[in-house]
Amino acid sequence: MSPEGMIVHGETLQKRFGGITAVDAVDFSVAEGDLIGLIGPNGSGKTTLINLLTGHLLPDTGEIFLRGRRVNGLAAHGFAALGVARTFQLSQLFGRMTVLENMLVPGLTRPRSTRTGVARRARTYLEFLNLAHLQDLSARSLSGGQQKLLELGRALMLEPAILFLDEPFAGIHPHLRDDLIQRIQDLHRSGRTFVVVDHDMESILKIARRLVVLARGQKIADGLPAAVRSDQTVLAAYSGL
Amino acid sequence: MRRLHVYVLLVAAVAALVYARGLNSYWLHVAIIAMFYAILTASWSLLAGYTGLFSLGHMAFASIGGYASALLVLGTGIPIPLGMAAGVALCFAVGGVIGWVCLRMSGPYLAIFTLAFSEIVRITFSTEDQVTAGMAGLHTTPLFESVSRLPYFYTAFGLLAASLAVLGIMVHSRWGLFFRAIREDEQAAAACGVRVAHFRILAFAVASGFAGLAGGFYAHYIGVLTPSLGSLDLMAIVVVMTVIGGMEALPTAVGGALAVEALLEYLRFTQWRWVLFGLLLLVTMRFARNGLLTPVWQQFIRLGDMRPTPPAPRGVEREGSRV
Repeated sequence: MSPEGMIVHGETLQKRFGGITAVDAVDFSVAEGDLIGLIGPNGSGKTTLINLLTGHLLPDTGEIFLRGRRVNGLAAHGFAALGVARTFQLSQLFGRMTVLENMLVPGLTRPRSTRTGVARRARTYLEFLNLAHLQDLSARSLSGGQQKLLELGRALMLEPAILFLDEPFAGIHPHLRDDLIQRIQDLHRSGRTFVVVDHDMESILKIARRLVVLARGQKIADGLPAAVRSDQTVLAAYSGL
Repeated sequence: MRRLHVYVLLVAAVAALVYARGLNSYWLHVAIIAMFYAILTASWSLLAGYTGLFSLGHMAFASIGGYASALLVLGTGIPIPLGMAAGVALCFAVGGVIGWVCLRMSGPYLAIFTLAFSEIVRITFSTEDQVTAGMAGLHTTPLFESVSRLPYFYTAFGLLAASLAVLGIMVHSRWGLFFRAIREDEQAAAACGVRVAHFRILAFAVASGFAGLAGGFYAHYIGVLTPSLGSLDLMAIVVVMTVIGGMEALPTAVGGALAVEALLEYLRFTQWRWVLFGLLLLVTMRFARNGLLTPVWQQFIRLGDMRPTPPAPRGVEREGSRV
């Protein structure tokens, strides 16, 4: 796949930690409007791949393109400025800042943003995420599910071209999980592009239009969910064979 | 009247300026030193409280600012304010360099690094006695010819007010939010688009510049400058003042400096005063990590705000307003 026409394109990406190859020659492309589920057993390299594609790690080899522009070596804040937003496996909120302040930070990094305008936009997203009534509370006082929603809201404040969500459904109440799925689907329908990493296969299958499977750092499948689910290589990877 | 606390502070400031005329020389000196410390605690609060960079090199910058200004004035005959400005600029630049070198450090690593830097500066000023007069002390040019301490009081007051105005504008701006975001989580701040390295260096440079300002004033006030200005003892006092007051807000950091300096003088009759301060620090760390003055300040800034405070849900912490 060529980098042209893709929002994000990673080519033969490799990342090693000591003697372990966490990501091994992986090609990964995301087109406008995609909703990709990135799955794989524990330790398969999903989070490392996200870290590479969002500037939080430098690849040992391989190229990364954003809308056709080579961005190897760009810092994480540079990726954010180019419209790449992400959440983290374990929520990484600004705990002692209020919910509203958490939303203001990314908004105010945008050029020519004003505090009034950003605050108005933040309140709109908080309404959408059903968090508006909590805006003056410290972020660390929210429940796990609310924290995941706030992280999504904070990512949306960048008005990103693409959102990488790292295990958004992990450890949250089923009711809030359904809420989060609904919000992701709403946002996708409104034109947002997502890459969602999770172990919760049921949730991923509800939303993903395309599944990419990693195992031992390598991409072993990439296609429509129905086809990937019945792929023997994928089944073998999940059963530890 | 939601800004009633601002008017109360302004009235208190005017009252302090008028009341100072009636103070004897001793208490004027205490007030001047308290304000010198207040500039240091406010700027250290920007670094440690707002940005989460626990530097132990702050007094080294005060020392650099002091010596730079004193030596420039003695050596070139430039006006003292110009010498002080040069000291501030030098500290800003050196602070930026130290901030850049420390980019990947935090917590104990940063503390140890800045501690080593501080000792290097102090020992350099001690050993280069042909330039600095070493421990014998460098006789500096006084800021005023007058024997009265009152002009120094007003100058210290003005410098403190100006420092708080600049730092206050910074922490209330988007920069303040970015500093706090970096303190909370650097990786998440970067993911939000915050230029973490840029703002860490900026915090170091600005805080060091203000430390240099305090040091420059001190040099031209105290008359004899020794390398002990950059000692760890004085750094410990700045840390204790800021922590006891509350390091995450400028007013509480300043309040800590004023309160601790006043108490130290009131307790001068007993040799147990440092033990008492040690105990006070233990109590603060155990029961009020945000500082003893933080709850007082939070109540104070609600003066005149007639809106009822909605109750926080059970088990939920309400974040206090910050200044």
